Amino acid sequence: MGLAQNIVFGLVTGSYIAIAAIGFTLIYGIVNMINFAYGEYLTIGAFVGVVTAGMLPLPLPIAVLIAMLAGGLASLILARVLFTPINNTGPVPMLLTSIGLGLVLRNAIRLTAGRSSRYFNTQTATFRFENLPDFSIGSVNLLGELFVTSQQLVVIGSAVIVFLTLHTLLTRTDIGIAMRAMSDDENLARIRGIDTQMIRDSVWILAGVLAGLAGVLIGIQTNVSAGTGFNHILQILAAAILGGAGSPYGAIAGSYIIGIVLALSVAFLPSGMTGISSAVAFLLLIIVLLIKPSGIAGQEVREA
Amino acid sequence: MSLVDRLPHDDSGRAFFIGGVCILIALLFALTPLRTTLPDGFNVFFEVGILFTIYAMLVLGLNLQYGYTGLVNFGHVVFFAVGAYSVAMLSAQDTFAGIGLGYPWPVALIVGIVVAALLGTIVGATSLRLRDDFLAIATLATAEIFHTLFVNFRHIFGGNVGILGVPQPVKDIASGTDTTLLATILLSGGITILTFAIITRLTDAPYGRVLRAIRADELVTRSVGKPTFTYKMQAFVYGAALAGLAGGLFALYNGAVAPGYFTIQVTVTVWIGMLLGGAANNRAVLGGLAVIMGLRLLSRFALDVAPVSADAFASIRLILIGVILILVIRYRPAGIWGDAKELGVDS
Repeated sequence: MGLAQNIVFGLVTGSYIAIAAIGFTLIYGIVNMINFAYGEYLTIGAFVGVVTAGMLPLPLPIAVLIAMLAGGLASLILARVLFTPINNTGPVPMLLTSIGLGLVLRNAIRLTAGRSSRYFNTQTATFRFENLPDFSIGSVNLLGELFVTSQQLVVIGSAVIVFLTLHTLLTRTDIGIAMRAMSDDENLARIRGIDTQMIRDSVWILAGVLAGLAGVLIGIQTNVSAGTGFNHILQILAAAILGGAGSPYGAIAGSYIIGIVLALSVAFLPSGMTGISSAVAFLLLIIVLLIKPSGIAGQEVREA
Repeated sequence: MSLVDRLPHDDSGRAFFIGGVCILIALLFALTPLRTTLPDGFNVFFEVGILFTIYAMLVLGLNLQYGYTGLVNFGHVVFFAVGAYSVAMLSAQDTFAGIGLGYPWPVALIVGIVVAALLGTIVGATSLRLRDDFLAIATLATAEIFHTLFVNFRHIFGGNVGILGVPQPVKDIASGTDTTLLATILLSGGITILTFAIITRLTDAPYGRVLRAIRADELVTRSVGKPTFTYKMQAFVYGAALAGLAGGLFALYNGAVAPGYFTIQVTVTVWIGMLLGGAANNRAVLGGLAVIMGLRLLSRFALDVAPVSADAFASIRLILIGVILILVIRYRPAGIWGDAKELGVDS
C-alpha cells in the first residue's frame, strides 16, 4: 500500500477527531475544564444516529441532524445539572465529576444497548485512482494506486463544512466573538457586558452538536458500540492538547497530525504490533505536554 | 503499671504494634502445623478482604500524593501494575507466554518496588510541573500506554493471558486453603497497618506540614525557602514505590498477573475510596475504601439473587460507582470523615 493511501486514512481519522476535538477544546477554553465524559457524548450521537437511520428508518442526513440535536441537548442538560453548579470549585472536581459521569453514561448505554456492535446501513462507492505517477523513496511506494470510498469523502467533506461554519461563527457573529473574548479573559468579558452564562450554555450545546456529528461519522466509518466514545477520548484529548488546549484552530491541526501519525504507525509497525498504535497517540500527548505544554497555539498549562 | 498502660498511645505507635502482631500470627499459621477451617461461604470475605488490604496500600500512597501534597495522579494503577509485572516476570517459573526468569521471590519483590519507584521518578520529573488537570491527563495517558504495551507485547508480557506460574510463598508453606487465606490476610493486613503507621508518622511530622502547605499554596511555601519541587517528587515517588509493593504482593498472592487486573477501574476505585472517606486523613481514606470494597462484596451476594445477567450487573455496579463519585464531589467534597477546613473546600 502506498504512502498516499495511508495519508488518506490519516485524513479521515483526523477529520472526525477534529470535529470532536473542536468541541472538546471549546469547553476547555470557555468553561475551563477537561471533560473526560466527552467521549460518551460521541457514543450518544452515534447510537441516536444508528437508531433513527436503521430502525425508524429515516434518511441518513436527517438521522445525522437528529443525532447532532441529541448530542447538543444531552451536553446542555448534563452541564446544567452536573457541571454548572460546581463551576467555582476548580478544575480537579470538574474533571473527577466528568470521570464519574463517563462511567455512568458508558455503562448505561452498555446496559440498554448490550455489548454487540451496530452498523450504519450505507451504500459505499469506491473511487479508484489508477496509473498515478509511481515513484518511491527508498522502499516506500508513494503513489501508485489510490482507493477512496464515498464514506471517506463524506467524513472529510463534513469536516471541511464544520471548519468553514466554525470560522464564520467565531469571526462574524456576536456570539462567536463573545466566545473568543471569554476564552481570553472571562472577567473582562463580563465587565464588557457579555452574558457569560448564556455563552457557556451555547458552548455546551455547540460541543454536544459536534460530538453527535463526530459519533455518527465514526459509526459510518467503522461501527457503533458502547465503547465507541471512550476508545476515542484520549485521541481527542491528545489532538486538543497538541493544538493548544482552548484553541479551536490548533485542535484542527492537532487532529490531523494525530490522524496521520496513527495511520502511518499502523502502516509501518510490524503486523501483530498494530495494537500499540493507540499508545502512539498517548505517547505523542505526553511528549507535547513535556516539550511545549501550551501546544501549537494555546494557553499556559504549567504552574509557575 | 499494667500491660495496657505500656501500650503505645498515638495512632502510628499503636499501628506499629498491631501490624507487628498481625504479621507474627500470620507467620504462626504459615510456618507451624497450626490449621484453621473457615465456615462455608466465608472465602469470598477473605478474597475481598485481601484485595482490600492491597488496595489500602494504594490508597495510602495516593493520599500522600493527592490528599497531602495535592498531586493529581490519575494513573496510580500503572505503578501497581509495573510492580506486579516486575515481580511476576522475575519470579515466574513456568509461564504460559511471556518472560519468567525464576529468580527467588524476595529478590523480585525488591526489584519490583525499585522499578515502580524509578517509573515514579521519571513520571514525576517530567510531569509534576504541569497544572493539576494536565498532570491528571499525563499520568492517565502513561497508565494507558503501559496497559497497551502489556496487551500487545505477548513475548514479553504474555498478552491478554498475562504471566502465570508466579510463586505463591504463603500458599506453598501453609497447610490447606483456609489456612492460606487466613495467613495471607493477616500478613498483607499487617503490612498495610505498618504502612499506615509509617505514613501517619510521616504526615504527622513537620514533613507532613510542608506537604500540606504545598497543597494549600505552593508559591508561599517556596517563598519561605522550602524546595517544593523536591518535596513533591518525594511524595510522588513514595506513593509509586508503595504501589509497586502492593503490586508485588498482589502477584505473589494471586500467582498470576494479567492486564485485566490493572485497568483504569483500579484507579477509579482507589480515588473514590479516598474522596469518599476524606482526603488528607489516613484513617478516613481507609474507611472510604472499605465502604467501596464493601459495596463490591455486597454486590457479589446481590448478583446471586438479582434477576439480571452478570454482564448487566457489572454495568449497574459501575453506574453506581460513578453516581457515588459525582455525589461525593458535589455534596461532601471533604468526604465522610474529612476535615473541610483542612482541605479548603466549602461543604
